[in-house]
Amino acid sequence: MMPHRIDPLGEAGLQFYSKVSASISHEIKNTLAVLNESAGFLEDVTLMARKGMNVDMERLHSLAGSMLKQVQRADTIVKNMNRLAHSLDESWTQVDVNSLLELMKNLSERTTVTRGFNVTVAVSDMPVIIATNPFFLENMIWLLLDFAMTVTGDAKTIEMQTVKADPGARIVFSGLDRLTENKFNDFQTERVRLMLAMLNSTLQTDKNNGMITLNLPGNTESPAQ
Amino acid sequence: MTDKVLIVDDEEDFLNIISDRLTARDMNVTTASSAKVAIKKIDEESFDAVVLDLMMPEMDGLETLKVMKERNPDLQVILLTGHATVEKGIEAMKLGAMDLIEKPADLATIVERIKRAKAEKIILVEKKSEERIRDILTRKGW
Repeated sequence: MMPHRIDPLGEAGLQFYSKVSASISHEIKNTLAVLNESAGFLEDVTLMARKGMNVDMERLHSLAGSMLKQVQRADTIVKNMNRLAHSLDESWTQVDVNSLLELMKNLSERTTVTRGFNVTVAVSDMPVIIATNPFFLENMIWLLLDFAMTVTGDAKTIEMQTVKADPGARIVFSGLDRLTENKFNDFQTERVRLMLAMLNSTLQTDKNNGMITLNLPGNTESPAQ
Repeated sequence: MTDKVLIVDDEEDFLNIISDRLTARDMNVTTASSAKVAIKKIDEESFDAVVLDLMMPEMDGLETLKVMKERNPDLQVILLTGHATVEKGIEAMKLGAMDLIEKPADLATIVERIKRAKAEKIILVEKKSEERIRDILTRKGW
């Protein structure tokens, strides 16, 4: 019997999706923990008030603010998750690279912050529209960010920047002071090469300046079509 | 005697509220919003229990637990986590965690675990005192 070969792109996509889901569920659990304690605190205050003890109105006011903040935080997390889920709706469509980069910064924040990294995004004022596979572009950015964290300098800061090209766009990752040819070659696994081919994109390095550029095409047709 | 507890979590709002609620239950609560601060606190003071978040920036809960146990093997550490996997739970127990509680947790459960941690600590302290006395008696030949 022939051994079953796992589709590398499918596997990469699932791994990406599950990692983001795990990170998001952790974030939601944290907001629920705060709301849970807040509800418990209100219960404590109610019991104390029933016993005739004074209620600290200022503390209640600040608690309401904290609860509202947590609800807004959870709402943003769920909105981001929803955007990621909908990026699988169409396999080739027009996207704004600026907005997609912001989404990836938010979705990866827990992972990057937990590992002690600061990720910034520099986007142009005008939307940068390209035709691409949104889900695999997000996956590619995730993989590049994960790799970037292994070659960043002591500042542990990574900047992601969108640059409009004619045609297409570029996403530049900078702050990669420890980027070497060997490390970059190791990064270019089968799944990365397949993903680049499916996005019709290329990677370019500038080791002297610690940068990797993802070149995104301006064509409107999927390479698979 | 009040229970002395250190709560470690990078969620400031969580720290503030749980601190208020445990204080209202006659506990002596100290908080730390990072592993670094928490390690400094356990070097300076003695606690009946440490309630430690598993996922924190820079140094995660398991690493922190390891460092804390190296510095004070008798320290009773209860891990708090947003997503407990079986593997993490086993690793935590191997590193000497007393318990692992999933967020959001019921305060009564946390209080019960802190009380249990304090009881464990008392047993350990008594055992050590007993060993010390036995050692003195043996060495002095009384």
